Amino acid sequence: MSTATELFKRTSALRKEGRLDVALAMLREAMARGGLSPEEVDRAGRFIRKARGEGAGGEPGLRVHLLGQFTTSWLVPAVTAVGWGQGIASDVEEGGYDLVLQDLTRLSASSEPPGVVVLFPWNNRLLNGSAQAGDRVADELAFWKQAWEIAGRMGARVLQVGYDWMAPGAEGYALAAETGGTIDLIRSVNTAIRQNRPPGSYFLDLELVSGMMGREAFYDPRRYYWTKQPFSERGVVRLAEHVVAGIRALTTGPKKVLVLDLDNTLWGGVVGETGPLGVALGDSPDGEAYRAFQKHAKALSKQGIVLALASKNNEADGREPFEKNPDMVLSLDDIAAAEICWEPKGSTIRRIAQTLNLGLDSFVFVDDNPAEREQVRQAIPEVAVVDVPVEPAEYVRALQAGLWFETTGLTDADRERAAQYAVERQRRELQQTAGSMEDYLRSLEMLADVREIDEADLMRVVQLLGKTNQFNLTTRRHTREEVVRMLDRPGSIGMTLRVEDRFGDHGLVGVLLAVPSDDDPQVLRVDTWLMSCRVIGRTVEEFTCADLIDRAERMGYRKILGEFLPTKKNALVAELYDRMGFRRLESSDGASVLYALELAGSARPVHYLTPKGAAIGAESVGAA
Amino acid sequence: MPDTLARLNEVFQQVFDDEELEITPETSAKDVDGWDSLMHVTLIVNAEKAFGVKFSSSEVAALKNVGDLVHLIDSRKHAG
Repeated sequence: MSTATELFKRTSALRKEGRLDVALAMLREAMARGGLSPEEVDRAGRFIRKARGEGAGGEPGLRVHLLGQFTTSWLVPAVTAVGWGQGIASDVEEGGYDLVLQDLTRLSASSEPPGVVVLFPWNNRLLNGSAQAGDRVADELAFWKQAWEIAGRMGARVLQVGYDWMAPGAEGYALAAETGGTIDLIRSVNTAIRQNRPPGSYFLDLELVSGMMGREAFYDPRRYYWTKQPFSERGVVRLAEHVVAGIRALTTGPKKVLVLDLDNTLWGGVVGETGPLGVALGDSPDGEAYRAFQKHAKALSKQGIVLALASKNNEADGREPFEKNPDMVLSLDDIAAAEICWEPKGSTIRRIAQTLNLGLDSFVFVDDNPAEREQVRQAIPEVAVVDVPVEPAEYVRALQAGLWFETTGLTDADRERAAQYAVERQRRELQQTAGSMEDYLRSLEMLADVREIDEADLMRVVQLLGKTNQFNLTTRRHTREEVVRMLDRPGSIGMTLRVEDRFGDHGLVGVLLAVPSDDDPQVLRVDTWLMSCRVIGRTVEEFTCADLIDRAERMGYRKILGEFLPTKKNALVAELYDRMGFRRLESSDGASVLYALELAGSARPVHYLTPKGAAIGAESVGAA
Repeated sequence: MPDTLARLNEVFQQVFDDEELEITPETSAKDVDGWDSLMHVTLIVNAEKAFGVKFSSSEVAALKNVGDLVHLIDSRKHAG
C-alpha cells in the first residue's frame, strides 16, 4: 500500500474523530514534501476545502476567485492544496464557465469581494473568430481591460493568465507562427496583455508554462471536449503551482532569502579534504554544473534575493574557496550572513533569520544532503526545502521548479538589496566595537529623506503594503488604486522615508499614510505606518513620528489618532504608540487598539537622524 | 467481474473520500452524494488509472450505471 493511500486512510480516520486540524497539518506536510500524484493532490484539495469550510485550519484565509473561459473546477482543489502546502491559506472559489465579466460584476457588488481574481482566457474566439486578425487581438484585449477595470474598482489584485495553443493547427509548424497564423495570434494577444495589464498585476504566461512541461503532457484534448477543461491531470497541478506562485507574488511577495550549503552544493567535493583549490569548479562536467548553479544564485542576488550560507565545516575551510579559488562565481560580498560551524542547520538557519531580521517563512534552503534537508524540515517547517537531485546539472532546474522567487516586477530597492545586506555585515561589526548605544547610533551618521509619495514610488509603496508583516501597525494591504484615492483626499499625508548612513543607502524603508478623520477634520488619522525591519532599533520610528507631528502641526491639525491592529506577526510594534507618547484610548475595541496625541505642546520623540539637506546634527533632537 | 467491482469500489471510496461507500452494478449517479458531471470525469480518469485502460468519449457517454462501467473495464482488459 502506498504511503499516499495510508495518508488518506489516516485523514479519514481523523475526520471521524473530529481532529481535522491534525489531518490538515498532515496534508500540509505531505504537500510540502511533494510526490503526491495529481489524483492525490485533487483529493487533498477537496479534503482541505471541506475541512476549512467546517471551520478547521485557522482563520479564513485570502479569498481567491478563479474566473475562466474554460471550466476551472479542477483548479479549485489543486490551487487549494498547492497553496496549503506552501503555507498560503487561501479560500478558493470559482465563477461559472465563461462568465468572466458577469461574475466579476456580481462580485464587485458583494460586501466581501475577493482579494485576488485569477483570470483565465481560452483561445476559442481568438482562433475561430471571423474578424481580421488585428481586430480579434484588439477585441480580446478590450475584453480583459473591462475585467481589470471591474477588479480594480473592487480592490482585488489581478492574476492574469495568458493565451496558449494546444497544437499548431492546420497551418502546420512552419506557417502557424508567421504573421496572422494561429500561434502568431496567440503571441500577439499575449504581448498586448503584457503591455497593457494593470500596474502591480501578475501575468502568468501560459505559453511558457505549457512549453516547459510539453504540450502533449500538459493538455488533454479529450478533457476539453468532455468538460471544457483543456488540461491533463498533471497539467492542472502544474498550472496550480504557477497560480500559487502568482498569488504569492501579489500578496506576501517572493521568498527573500536563499540559504545555501557549501560542499557538493556550491562546489563538488569536500573542501576540508581537498583544499580550496581541489574542489570541483569549472574544468569538468561536474565543475561546470556547480559554476552554473553559482551563477544562478548570483543572478538571484542581483534581483534582491538575499544569499546566506549554512554549512557544516570549519569556518576557515568554508571561507577559503571564496578567498582563494579563482573559479568561484560567488564572493563573500554576495553573502549577507554565513553560518559555517558544526551545529545542526535547524539552529544555524534560525540564527541567520535573527541576524537578517527576516521571517523564516521567507527562506528557501538548498542542500545536497537529504539528511540535512530532513533535519531542517522537521526543525523549521516554515522554511521551503528544495529536494535537489544527486546530479548537480539538475540543481538550477530543481530550484527554479519551486517558483519561489516569482515577482510582479523589480524595483530599484530589489536591485540594491544584496549590496545593502553586505554593508549591514560591516555595521554589525561596528556595533560590536562601539561603546554605548547612543555612541553607536551617533556614529552611524544617519540621514533621513522624507518625500511625498509620487508616481515613481507608488509601485514600491504598494509592494511594501503587500508584504510588510512585522513593523506594520495596521497591515492594511491597500491596492494601488486605494492608495491613489487616499492621496487624492485634501489634507491627507502620504510619505515615504529613505535612510542612508555612513556605510550605504538603505533606500525606501518607511511608508506612512494618514487621512483627516471622518468625524473631525481637525483630527488626523494614521491609516498605515510601516517600516522595513532592516532599520529597526535605530530610532527611525522616532524620527518618523517627530516628522509626522511637525507636518500635522503645519497643516493645522489639532490631534493625531493612531491605531494598532494586532496580527500574528506584528507584536514587535504592539507598544509603538505608547513609546511615542500617544495616549491609549478607553474606547479601544477588541480588534484594534486606538491612540491619540494632542498636538499642542507635545514633545518630539528622541532620535539620531538628520533630515537630508540640513547640516549634520543640526536638527536631530538626540544629537543636540 | 467481482474483482473489478471490488477494485472499482476502492476507486469510488477514494474519489468521494468516503470509506463506507458501497457500490453495486445498479448504482448510478443519483445514488451517490456529489456524483455530478464533473465528479463523473474525475471518477472515469481515476478508474482509467486504476485499471490501466483508456476509454473513448463515446464509451463514456454511453455509461448508465456502475455495471456498465464494470463491463467496459472487463471487455477492455480481456481484449488487451
